[in-house]
Amino acid sequence: MNTFLETLSSRRGELLQTLIEHIQISFIALLIAVLIGVPLGILLTKTDRIAEIVINIAAVMQTIPSLALLGLMIPLFGIGEVPAIIALVIYALLPVLRNTYTGINEVDESLVEAAEGIGMKPVRRLLKVEIPIAMPIIMAGIRTAMVLIIGTATLAALIGAGGLGDLILLGINRNNTDLILIGAIPAALLAIIFDIGLRIIQNLSYKRAMITVGTIFVIILAVTLAPLLTNRDGEITIAGKLGSEPAIITNMYKILIEEETDYTVNVEDGLGQTSFLFNALRSDDIDGYLEFTGTVLGELVKEAPESNDVEVVYNQANTALDSEFDMTMLEPMMFNNTYTLAVKRDFAEENNLTTIEDLKSIEDEIRPGFTMEFNDRVEDGYPAIQEAYDLNFNDVITMEPQLRYQAIENGEINLMDAYATDAELRQYDMVILEDNKQVFPPYQGAPLFKQEFLDEHSEIIDPLNQLSGMITDEEMQDMNYRVTVDDEAPYDVAEEFLQENNLID
Amino acid sequence: MIEFKNVSKRYGDKIAVNNVSFYINEGEFFVLIGPSGSGKTTTLKMINRLIPLSEGYIYFKDNPISDYEVYEMRRDMGYVLQQIALFPHMTIAENIAQVPQMEKWSDEKIKNRIDELLEMVGLDPEVYRDRKPTELSGGQQQRIGVLRALAADPPVILMDEPFSALDPITREKFQNDLIELQEKIKKTIIFVTHDISEAFKLADRLCLFNEGAVEQIGTPNEFIQTPKSDFVRTFIGGQSEPFDDIKAGDLVLNKAVISNEHQGVYISQDKSLHDVFTALTEQDEVIVEVEDGPKLLTRSDVFQHLARKSGEVK
Repeated sequence: MNTFLETLSSRRGELLQTLIEHIQISFIALLIAVLIGVPLGILLTKTDRIAEIVINIAAVMQTIPSLALLGLMIPLFGIGEVPAIIALVIYALLPVLRNTYTGINEVDESLVEAAEGIGMKPVRRLLKVEIPIAMPIIMAGIRTAMVLIIGTATLAALIGAGGLGDLILLGINRNNTDLILIGAIPAALLAIIFDIGLRIIQNLSYKRAMITVGTIFVIILAVTLAPLLTNRDGEITIAGKLGSEPAIITNMYKILIEEETDYTVNVEDGLGQTSFLFNALRSDDIDGYLEFTGTVLGELVKEAPESNDVEVVYNQANTALDSEFDMTMLEPMMFNNTYTLAVKRDFAEENNLTTIEDLKSIEDEIRPGFTMEFNDRVEDGYPAIQEAYDLNFNDVITMEPQLRYQAIENGEINLMDAYATDAELRQYDMVILEDNKQVFPPYQGAPLFKQEFLDEHSEIIDPLNQLSGMITDEEMQDMNYRVTVDDEAPYDVAEEFLQENNLID
Repeated sequence: MIEFKNVSKRYGDKIAVNNVSFYINEGEFFVLIGPSGSGKTTTLKMINRLIPLSEGYIYFKDNPISDYEVYEMRRDMGYVLQQIALFPHMTIAENIAQVPQMEKWSDEKIKNRIDELLEMVGLDPEVYRDRKPTELSGGQQQRIGVLRALAADPPVILMDEPFSALDPITREKFQNDLIELQEKIKKTIIFVTHDISEAFKLADRLCLFNEGAVEQIGTPNEFIQTPKSDFVRTFIGGQSEPFDDIKAGDLVLNKAVISNEHQGVYISQDKSLHDVFTALTEQDEVIVEVEDGPKLLTRSDVFQHLARKSGEVK
C-alpha cells in the first residue's frame, strides 16, 4: 500500500496528463459513434434489407481484435489520436447502431399508428414518440459502447495516442503492479463517471442535452487541437517499440541530435509491435525508429540470413532495405539483443541443461511461454527452433513479454524466450540455453530511416553514428535493470551513459 | 361529409375491400360492421389514409382525400384506436395536447381545453392532468383516447372498435356516454365494431360488410324489417335468437308507470319482441299495459335491454 501511494505521488503529473488524454479520446470517439450510429440506426429502420447487411458489417468489424484493428489503422491514418479514435468509433458502432435500430423498431405498432392517425408528421413522430420510447434501449447501447471505448482506449497507447494505457503498459513492461493499478483504477472510475454523466444527459430535455454535450465537445476539441496547431517545423520524431531498451536508446538519439544540430527530437517510445512502427515509418508518421538487424531480415524483408556473422547480417539487411523500401539503417551498436531460450537456474541444474538441444530429452515436461511474436516468427522464432532441433512442445502459451517472468516465477511455465539484454534474466536468476545450432541471427540495434529523409537531414547522421559499436550486452542489461527495476527515467539513464562515455559534455 | 365511390383495396391478388360506395351525412353516427376480416377496419383506415386505396374515390367535404395535405387532413379526423395507444412517456395532458400543439394553439388555450375536456368526461383535471397513462384504469385510458381525438374539435371522428378491450359493464356505460356526448357535440362519427347490439344501439345508420363487399346499408329498423339477404338475416338473427321469449312486459320492467291519459299506441304486455319491433317501426314510442298501469317504451329502451341481454348471453 505504501509503495502504491509513493508511486501514485511520483506519477501524479503523468496520471493527470494521461487521464485527460483518455477522456479526450474516449469522449470524442463516443460522440462520433453516437453521431453516426443513432441517425444510421434510425435510417435503417426504414429499409430492413439494407439494415441486415449494415448491422452484420458492424458486427464483423467488432469481431476484429482491438489490437489488430489499431494495427490496421496505422497504414491508413498513421499513429496518434486520429487513428485511435477511428478504431474506437468502429469498435463502438455496433452497440449504438443495433440498439437504436432495435429500439425504434420495437416501438409498439399501435403507438406509431396512433401518432400517424392524429396527424403527426414523420419528424415529429420520431422526436416526440419513437425516440423517447426507444430512449432506454438506445442509451443502453450508448453505455455499452462507452464501456467498450474506455476499456479499449487503454490499448490506444500502443499506437501513440496516449491515455491511461501509457501507465498500464509501462506497468506491465516494468512488472510494476502499482503502476498498472494507477492506470487501471482511474480507467474503471472513468467508466463509472461517464455512466453517471450519460444517465444525467438521458434525463435532460433535448435542448439542454444538446447544449451540455456541445459545450463539452467544444472544450475537449479546443484542448485537443491546441497542440496540433503549433509549428512542427524542425521537429524530428523518433520512435521505439515497447520496453525500456528502446526508451533508453531513443532518448540517447534525442540527446545526441539535439546536442549537435538545431533540430528538436520528439521521442515516441512504447509503440507496440514491429509492424506498427514500420507502417508508421512508411506513412511518414514517424521519421525514424530503433530497429534490429535480425528483425529486418526475419520480418521486414523476409530473407534468410546468409550467415550469422553480425556484419554480414547488417549488410544484408541494409542492402535489402535499400532496394525494397528505399530505407537505410545507420551503423549498429555493439550489443546483440538476440532471441534466446531461458530457464530458471535450478531447473537447468536439475535437468542438466546447457544448450537448446538438451531440451529434447525432457521434451514432454516442457511448458513453454512465448511472446506472440516469437511463437510466430518463421525464420528465427519457435518454428525455426522446432525444425533445427526437432523439438515439439505440447502446450505453448503465448503471453505479453513481461508476463512471462511472473509465469516462470510462479512455475506456470518452465521455458521462455528472452532477449539477451533483458534485465529480468538477472533479476529472476535465470540462465540462457546456448543456441548451439545457430538458429537465431544476430539482433543489433540501429536507427532506421527513409533514405529520402536522411538526404534532407544529413546532419543527424554523424551524431547518431557516434553510438556505432558502443554499448555492450552487460551495459545494456545494467541500464535496462535501472529503468525497469529501479524505476529511473530512461532519459536520465541515457544521458548518464553518454556523459560517462564522453559523447556529450 | 364523406363519400365512398367504387372504392377497392387489393393486397396482391387478394381483395380486402371490393367496390364499396356510400355517403355519410354530416353529424351522422355511421357504424361499419361485419365479421372479422370483412374489410370494415380497412375501410375506416382508408378514410384517413393510414391505408392507401387501390381503386375509386373517397371524398371528404366534397374533395378527394388525395387533394388534402395528408397530415393536416388527419387533424380534421379524430382517431380512436382499439388498442387505445396513449403515448406512455407523456402525461395525460400532453397526450391530449398533441393535435392542438400541431395546430399551433397557444399554451393557455391548450391548457384550458384540456381541463374542459377532462371535466366533460368526469375526470378531475387537478388529479389526472399530470398522471401517466399507466396510472389509469383501462376505462379511464380509453376516455383519454377519445379526448385526444376530440381535442382540436375536428368535424369527423374515426373510431376503430374503441370499446372492444373493455369489460361488458364499462363498455355499456361508454356506449351510453357516447350517445350522450354525440347529442352535445354532433360530430360525424364513423365507428367500427363487430358487435351487432353495440351497432344497433349507437348507429344512425349501419353498413354491413361481408368478405370485403357491402351487404346492406340502412337504419337499425331497416335491417330488422327488411334484411336484404340470408347473410344479413343470419348476422342479426344470430344475435336475436335468444331473445325469442322476450315479451313486451319484460322490456318495461324497470320503467315508471305513466298517467292513464297518455296519448299513443297501446300494446299488451304479452306481445312478442317481433310485435314490439313492428310497432316501433311506425312510432317513436309505444305504451305497454302491465298490471301496475301503462309504461312508456322507446326504441332505445329496447336496444338497451337487448344489449344487456346479449352481454349476458355471451
